[in-house]
Amino acid sequence: MEWFEAFFGSGIRFTTPILLAALGGLFTAWTRDLNVGLEGAMIFGAFFGVMIGLNSESWVMAVVLTTFLGVMSGLIFGYIVAELKVNVFVAGIALNVLGAGGTVYLLRSLFGVKGTLSGESVPSIPRVDLPVISEIPFFGPILSGHTVLTYFSWVLVAFLIWAVHGTKLVRHLKASGEHPAALATAGGKVNGMRIFAQAWCFALCALAGVQLSLGQLSLFTEGMTSGIGFVALAAVIFSRGRVPLLAIMCFGFGLSSAASVVISDDIIPPQFAQMTPYVVAMIGLIIFARTSKGSAMRIATPVMDKL
Amino acid sequence: MSQNSAKPLESNEKIDTQWSHRWRSVRTKSGALSFTLIFGLLLTLALIQAQGFKPIPTVWEGIQYSLGDPTSIARTLAWGLPLCVAAIGVALAFRSGMFNIGAEGQIYAGAMAAAIVGAYIGPMFTGLHLALCIIAAALIGGLIAGVLGWMRAVWGVDEVLSTLLSNYIIVLFCAYLATSPLRDPDRQSGTTKAVFDSAMFAEIMPKTGLRSAIFLVVVLCLAVWWLSEKSTLGYRWRMTGESASFAASVGINVKRAQIQSMVFSGALAGIAGALLVTASQGRYWTAIGSGVGWDAVLIALIGRARILPTIGWVLVYTIMRSGARGVEQVSEVPAELSLILIACIIIIAAARAGVLYKVTGIGRRLMPKREGDVNGMV
Repeated sequence: MEWFEAFFGSGIRFTTPILLAALGGLFTAWTRDLNVGLEGAMIFGAFFGVMIGLNSESWVMAVVLTTFLGVMSGLIFGYIVAELKVNVFVAGIALNVLGAGGTVYLLRSLFGVKGTLSGESVPSIPRVDLPVISEIPFFGPILSGHTVLTYFSWVLVAFLIWAVHGTKLVRHLKASGEHPAALATAGGKVNGMRIFAQAWCFALCALAGVQLSLGQLSLFTEGMTSGIGFVALAAVIFSRGRVPLLAIMCFGFGLSSAASVVISDDIIPPQFAQMTPYVVAMIGLIIFARTSKGSAMRIATPVMDKL
Repeated sequence: MSQNSAKPLESNEKIDTQWSHRWRSVRTKSGALSFTLIFGLLLTLALIQAQGFKPIPTVWEGIQYSLGDPTSIARTLAWGLPLCVAAIGVALAFRSGMFNIGAEGQIYAGAMAAAIVGAYIGPMFTGLHLALCIIAAALIGGLIAGVLGWMRAVWGVDEVLSTLLSNYIIVLFCAYLATSPLRDPDRQSGTTKAVFDSAMFAEIMPKTGLRSAIFLVVVLCLAVWWLSEKSTLGYRWRMTGESASFAASVGINVKRAQIQSMVFSGALAGIAGALLVTASQGRYWTAIGSGVGWDAVLIALIGRARILPTIGWVLVYTIMRSGARGVEQVSEVPAELSLILIACIIIIAAARAGVLYKVTGIGRRLMPKREGDVNGMV
C-alpha cells in the first residue's frame, strides 16, 4: 500500500501546477480569448518566484509579489489583446517564446548563471499537515502534507463551482465571449472583462510557476515547465468551460505525470514514462473531437489571408 | 449643367483613388516595416544600456560579427539555412489555415531520420546518399504532419493543440532512440553515430559551416514560392485558408487541401531537420534543433505566412541572432537577446495598427479602411 500512497501523493503534487494554470486559462476560455501562452506565463512565475525568494528569503513575499507581477503583466497582455486587437493566438505564441528566452536572458544577465539558479537562501513553501484529515488511516497521508498553494487550488475549485452558478462576474465573463453585443447593451464592459480574464490567468499561472519552483524544488531550471502549460491548455479545452470536469482532467494529468516518476526505469525507458501526460492528452484530444458535436472549442487562430 | 460635369469628374476620381490606394498600400507596408524595425532597434539599445554597456558601439560589434567580412556572412548564412526551410514550411500550412505549431517535433524527427539513413546505410555515392537522407527526413516529417492534418480535416481534432503535444512526444521518442538503441557507445549519452562523409553536403567555405546545402535551400525557396503563389494547388490552399466555406462552395476539396498543405509543411520541416545533420552537426544529438521550430513559427507569423516576406524575415532574424552572439562576446548581454527581440517584434508588428488607431487619430486617416488591418493580426 505504500506504493499506492506514494503514487497518489505525488499525483496530487503534480496536479497542483496543472490545475492552477488551467483554472487561469479557464477564464480566458470563457471570454473566448483562450491564452495559448500559459506555458510562458508559468516559466516567468517560476523564475520570479525564485528571484524574489532569493532576495527576500521569504516564501510569502515570493508568492505575493510574483502574483502581483502576474496581475500586472496580465493587464498588459489583456490590453494588447482586447484594446490593441492583437490576435490572442499570436500573442500567446510570442509569450511562450518570450518566456523561454526571457528567463534564460534574465538568469544570465542578473545572476551570471547558466542552467540552474539555486541557493541556501531560496525558501521553499512549507508543507502543511491538515489537523484532522492526516489522522485518517488511508487518505490522510495522501491528502495531507501538501503546500498552501495545493490547498488554495482546491478551495478555488470549490469557489468557482459555486461562482459559476451564483455570480454576476462569471455571467459577464461568459457573455463577453459568447454575446459581446448583448453584454454591451446591458451596460457591461466587454473589454474590461476580457482584460480581467487575462489578469486572472496570469496571476494563477504565476502561482503555478511558483508552486513548481518553490513548492516542489526550491530552485529554478531553464525550461522547467517542460510543457505543463500545454497540458493545462489541453485540460481547459477538454473541459468545455466546466469547472468540475476541469479539476478531474487536471488530476488525471497529474496522476499520469506521477506514473512517470513511480515507474522504475528498468520497466520502461524514462523517456516513455515522461511522454505519458502528453500521450494521454493527445488521446484525450482525439476522443474529445470524436465525441463533441459542432461547437467544439477551437483556439482562435487568425485568418492569414485577410491581410 | 451640374449633372453633365459630374460624369468625367467621377471617372477621374476613380483612377485617382486607384492610384492613391496603391500608393497608400506601399506607404503602409513600408511604414509598418520601418515602425517595427525602429522599435526593435530601440529595444536592443535599451536592453544593452540596461546591462551597463555602451549601446551603439556594442550593436556595431554585433553587426560586424554577423556581417563584417565574407567569413562572418558565410557563418551567418549557414546558420539560417535550416530555419529558412522550416519557416517557409510553417508558412505554407498557416496560409491554408492549418496552424502547424509542430515544426519543432517534425524537425527533430527529420534530423533523426537523416542521421539513421546517413549512419546505417552506405557509404555510397554522395549525391544518392544525401538524396536518400533528405527524402527520408521529408517523408517522416510529412507523415507526422499529414496524420495530424488528417485528424484535423476528418475528425476535427484541433491542430494547434495536437501539433503542440506532438512536439513533446516526438522529441522524447528521439531522445530515447539517441540514448538507448542508437547511442554511439564512444560518445556521451544522447548522440548517435556520425553519418558517413557521403551523407554530408560539401563545404563551400571552410571553418564557416557554409555548405552546398545553400543551393538546395535556394531551389526549395523558389519552388515553394511558386507552389504557394502561382500553382493551382497553392491557390486552393490559399482559398481554404481564407474561408473554408467559400472554398468548398466553389468546388475546392477543403479537406484534401488542408491535408496536402500539412504534408508539404511537415516535409519541409523534416528537410530542415535533415539539414541540421547533413549540413552542420554530422550526427543526431538530443538538443540538435532546440528552438528552430519555434523560431520558424514566429517568423512565419511575422511574414504573415507569405513566402517572400517570410524569407526576408528569416534573413533579418538570422542576422539578429548572429549579431546577438557577437554582442555576447564583447559584453555580458546574453545571446537570448535575439529571442526577446523577435517575440517583442511580433507583438509590436501585430499591435501597430491598434496602437496607431489608439494613440493618434491620425491612424484613421493614414490607413486604408481594411478590416484586416485593425481586426486581424500582424
